[in-house]
Amino acid sequence: MRTNYRINSGVRFEMFTQDQLEELFWGALHVLEYTGLDVMHEEARQILKKAGAWVEGTRVRLPNYLVRKSLEMAPRSFTLFARDGNPENDIHIGPGRAHFGPGPTCVQFIDIETQARRPYLNSDVPLVAKVVDALPNIDFCESLGTVSDVHHDLGALYEFAGMFPNTSKPIVAWSYDKYDSAGIHEIAVAEAGGQEAFEQRPTYVHYCEPLSPLITTSESVDKLLFAATHRIPLIFTPCPLAGGTAPVTAAGIIIPAAAESWMGLTIAQAVQPGLPFIMGGVLSVMDMSAMILAYGAPELSLMMAGITELAHYVGLPLWQTGGCTDSKTFDAQAMIEGSLSCYFSAMTGGDLTHDVGYTESAMTGSVFQLAAMDEAIGYTRRITRGIEVNEDTLAVDVIHNVGPNGHYLKEKHTRRYFRSEFWYPNLHDRRNFEEWEMMGRTTLKDRTIARVHDILVTHNPSSIKPETEQVIRKVLAEAEARVRA
Amino acid sequence: MSAILEQLSAVVIEGDETKSPGLVQKALDEGFTAKEILDNALVVGMTEVGIRFKRGDMFVPEVLMSAEAMQTGLGILRPLLAASGAEMLGKIVMGTVKGDLHDIGKNLVGMLCEGSGFDVIDLGFNVAPEKFIEAVKQHKPNIIGMSALLTTTMRSMGHTIKALEEAGLRAGVKIMVGGAPVDREFADRVGADGYGSNAPAGADLAKQLMGAA
Repeated sequence: MRTNYRINSGVRFEMFTQDQLEELFWGALHVLEYTGLDVMHEEARQILKKAGAWVEGTRVRLPNYLVRKSLEMAPRSFTLFARDGNPENDIHIGPGRAHFGPGPTCVQFIDIETQARRPYLNSDVPLVAKVVDALPNIDFCESLGTVSDVHHDLGALYEFAGMFPNTSKPIVAWSYDKYDSAGIHEIAVAEAGGQEAFEQRPTYVHYCEPLSPLITTSESVDKLLFAATHRIPLIFTPCPLAGGTAPVTAAGIIIPAAAESWMGLTIAQAVQPGLPFIMGGVLSVMDMSAMILAYGAPELSLMMAGITELAHYVGLPLWQTGGCTDSKTFDAQAMIEGSLSCYFSAMTGGDLTHDVGYTESAMTGSVFQLAAMDEAIGYTRRITRGIEVNEDTLAVDVIHNVGPNGHYLKEKHTRRYFRSEFWYPNLHDRRNFEEWEMMGRTTLKDRTIARVHDILVTHNPSSIKPETEQVIRKVLAEAEARVRA
Repeated sequence: MSAILEQLSAVVIEGDETKSPGLVQKALDEGFTAKEILDNALVVGMTEVGIRFKRGDMFVPEVLMSAEAMQTGLGILRPLLAASGAEMLGKIVMGTVKGDLHDIGKNLVGMLCEGSGFDVIDLGFNVAPEKFIEAVKQHKPNIIGMSALLTTTMRSMGHTIKALEEAGLRAGVKIMVGGAPVDREFADRVGADGYGSNAPAGADLAKQLMGAA
């Protein structure tokens, strides 16, 4: 029997000390209390004032106790459920758990048949969702694009309507406005079997963005209030650029990002105490020659690790970022940037890592980048799973039995563990040269394309209820009527 | 195929070495000949194992389990096959070449060749050219199989083939080579008749060399 024995069940990573985290924490509280944010929403200002905030015009300052009280109300652990009840597709958010999924709203898309870059279409949505549904290391769904071939106000709604029937994995839904939010929610509630059933088993997360620096926009609050009122788990994630819309330093960008996200938290918890809240945001550098938000920069991974530690310090899950690249194509740069950020994100235990499949600095979505990153995440997860140390895994008796000059291939011990101890690649090639040559000298890119095509031919996601299909048609028809009126 | 032979080949595929001897005995009791059991159950099972391995559905420890299940069954059949003078697919003498102590791969090829219906004589590891010559004289095999894991020992394959030529024995046998550093080009250079890139490929090659595949 073991006694007074400590176990590390995985690889550990730690950047900040408690002292540093405390300093970051109080830095963000200081900004909220002394600088304040412009909250461009009358109702939200009223809610905050009632909760104890100081309001002067649009400027809202939060006493630190109010933020700390709000942090205390938000849960660290909760579950996002698969819409079809398949427990394998549930996401349990909590300490030491990293999950991955694509990102939203790229304007361009890598065509699945031709591999050409072209605008994202409504017909791409179901295909992306199907690929997400099939990939074993992709846990939640976003669409990788802004639908360009429907009415320009309805892209988000069509997107959700296309994703929902084609994957049972939890969805992260963004929207343009509260009308989108209502339509999206109507679809999810129909499938869940009512508002109460949805609240017990939420199947999607609502995503909203404040504006950096230090502005809580009217649309973001509209959507936030809708989510909070209907008890929809909420992501409130700013996207500051170091050196542009935030301080140039890595420590300096974490402070306003946290403040911007916590303003959303404070509004949400005032409206709906205990609402599952996922802190943002996406932190990276503004490239000083290309003037873009760099999605493949090492600073992205570093800053994201910093804000993840701060989130965990205050007891919130974090909306992490990884699997993305500034490369325009499926090349070595895309694989290096994507894989390293997936690995680093997993090491931080970032709760929901999004933007897997972004290329061209988030301008172009690619299911091929996504599918290749599925492999990188599988690889990563084998590492983060760590080394289990116990009597059986130590295998001292097996070593004794085999002795010098024997081998372990025939041992029961080997048979018992070889599938669980080793990671088996889906895309990487380990064959010898001749076999590789015989199989057509394929590259990772060839095999990734083949896998995506294979998934689209063979994979059938579970279907939604016929009633929900009717609701989707109704919601879209009503939205079309609204925008044309 | 009869139910008992089907059951036996399924047990080989599952790799359950505790069940195969009992089933072999039962098949004998039902009146099947040793050769029928070998060809229609054990070989059938191992052929399927080879296919699954190539497809990536089975892994080496599982192939070994199957090979063991096949061998425990074959243990009962061997004396009967010898007594009846049943014609095997061919005879293979194999070994890991001089200087090399690695025999996992060679053993696996040997078992798969047995699973294909060959009579296999295993010379072990660190086998010098003279030992191969002696074995050829004694056993009169159709095929010699040589294995090496090290880049430093693979040249010993060339030495062995040269020694066989000098002893006037080369023309009477086919030679196949394999092992991690070996490739087709090397096999051609040392004058082998064939090269297998993995264990099932080695067994397939043996069949090809006999004109049976």
